[in-house]
Amino acid sequence: MSQIVNQVRLDANWSAISAELDAPKASMAERLLGRLRVPGHIARLVVATPALRRAWYLAIGIAVLIGLGSARPDNPASVFVLLAIAPALPVLGVAMAYGRSADPMYEAQVATPMPGLRLVAIRTVTVLVVAILAVGVPALLASTTRSMAFAWLLPALALTSASLALMTWFPPRRATAIVAVIWFVGVVVARRVGPDELAAFGAFGQLGAAMVTAIGVAVIGARRSSFDRMEHAS
Amino acid sequence: MTAAHIVASGLGKRYGDQVALDGIDLLEQGGLITLLGPNGAGKSTLLRCLATVVTPDDGSLMVDGLDPRREPERIEIRRRLGYMPQDIGLIAGSRVFDAVEYIAVLKDHREDRRRRRAVSDVLDRVGLRDVAGERVERLSGGMRRRVGVAQALLGSPTLMVLDEPSAGLDPDERMRLREILTERRRSTTVFVSTHMTDEAAISDTVLVIAGGSIRFAGSPGRLAALAAGRTWVQTDLPPPDVRASWRLVDGRHRCLGRPPADAELVEPTLEDGYLLVRTAVSPSA
Repeated sequence: MSQIVNQVRLDANWSAISAELDAPKASMAERLLGRLRVPGHIARLVVATPALRRAWYLAIGIAVLIGLGSARPDNPASVFVLLAIAPALPVLGVAMAYGRSADPMYEAQVATPMPGLRLVAIRTVTVLVVAILAVGVPALLASTTRSMAFAWLLPALALTSASLALMTWFPPRRATAIVAVIWFVGVVVARRVGPDELAAFGAFGQLGAAMVTAIGVAVIGARRSSFDRMEHAS
Repeated sequence: MTAAHIVASGLGKRYGDQVALDGIDLLEQGGLITLLGPNGAGKSTLLRCLATVVTPDDGSLMVDGLDPRREPERIEIRRRLGYMPQDIGLIAGSRVFDAVEYIAVLKDHREDRRRRRAVSDVLDRVGLRDVAGERVERLSGGMRRRVGVAQALLGSPTLMVLDEPSAGLDPDERMRLREILTERRRSTTVFVSTHMTDEAAISDTVLVIAGGSIRFAGSPGRLAALAAGRTWVQTDLPPPDVRASWRLVDGRHRCLGRPPADAELVEPTLEDGYLLVRTAVSPSA
């Protein structure tokens, strides 16, 4: 037998088979991502990032609260609450999925060839998708919020990009806190001084959000090296 | 692939007012280099600089002629690097295989089957294959560190930077680690930090670090030889001007420093040499 079977190939085959046996079974989320044609290594990255789980739980929890809050069609304030809170959701999610304090494996992963910005981008997109589903679906279902169901999207992108841009100078949680405070103060002031309660989400608000997004993306691109080091990620 | 060529010149790093590294010079290619030093000496900061996760404030560092301050070159260095931080930071709920595979993905192992095979191989080398499906929170401290070593071994690195890999390992685990390091040093430049002087005995070069500076660089034999003629045992209480002394099990005292004329000199160990260098830096130690 040993004369007709190449031992090296046999060992290699056995090694490959046992590696498949060692690997834990893919989770439901990973299988779902596979069906959505997400490449295997990206799916692995997403599901194996436990820091994201907290972000998902947060997103789902707040979405339920928002759903409950916007279930009163006679209360227009519920729309304001939805639109004010929803954009902050992905920002909180990103802050909870990135940095030394959020991610126990942070230092080991910084030392890998995967550019830090790419990793942050994958996580941000994951958080955004979950947040869009978690907030968008209840908003579409409630009759009062349907017309404004997606008015929070550009502000969400603006806050997320501003937050990531600030993370190139400050630790993630501080950057997020700064952005969140500015946002909430801004929308409350706009509500008081603007022509209507939802002024911050009108055409001018959306234009401003688009500008902030563009500036944020430019800053992130220019300062992307800071995502490859530990200094600002405490 | 040949072992990484490390050239560091005047490396400096500060955290606020605290000087972590103060003008470190290095020239290494291949072999096992062990960093010895007390807590806060700057060992981890130096290893973080070598692993490119921290940028020095002063000086320069080149790995195989690549400058980590430039993004494409930094990425290329990281392709050649296996890094194990002091805090392994495994995430509760994940399995041993997942924890290693996660780093494999980040190290550009994209093809699923090859990646799983690479993970399985490194788990085998550190003796964790049997517990590949275990949740990481069930692992002992020593096993957790072996997961870190497995992560660092992925991708056959030519530069390995391991921060206290032997902490918490039992004697069998330490022996296995020594075998891995001994095997790797033929093709890899391996930097290891430790508090245990006996761990340094197998290294090619020992660096004693204190106060952010290198106080000694040389072979383990040379470090031990520093204490030759300066190590003795005596029955009486040691005089106050000895550099260091401790009581032995037979009740006598082992002393380091300038021996009295009638001293019973003994063969120095690596620890004697290390303590002599360390106390020369900090007389109160």
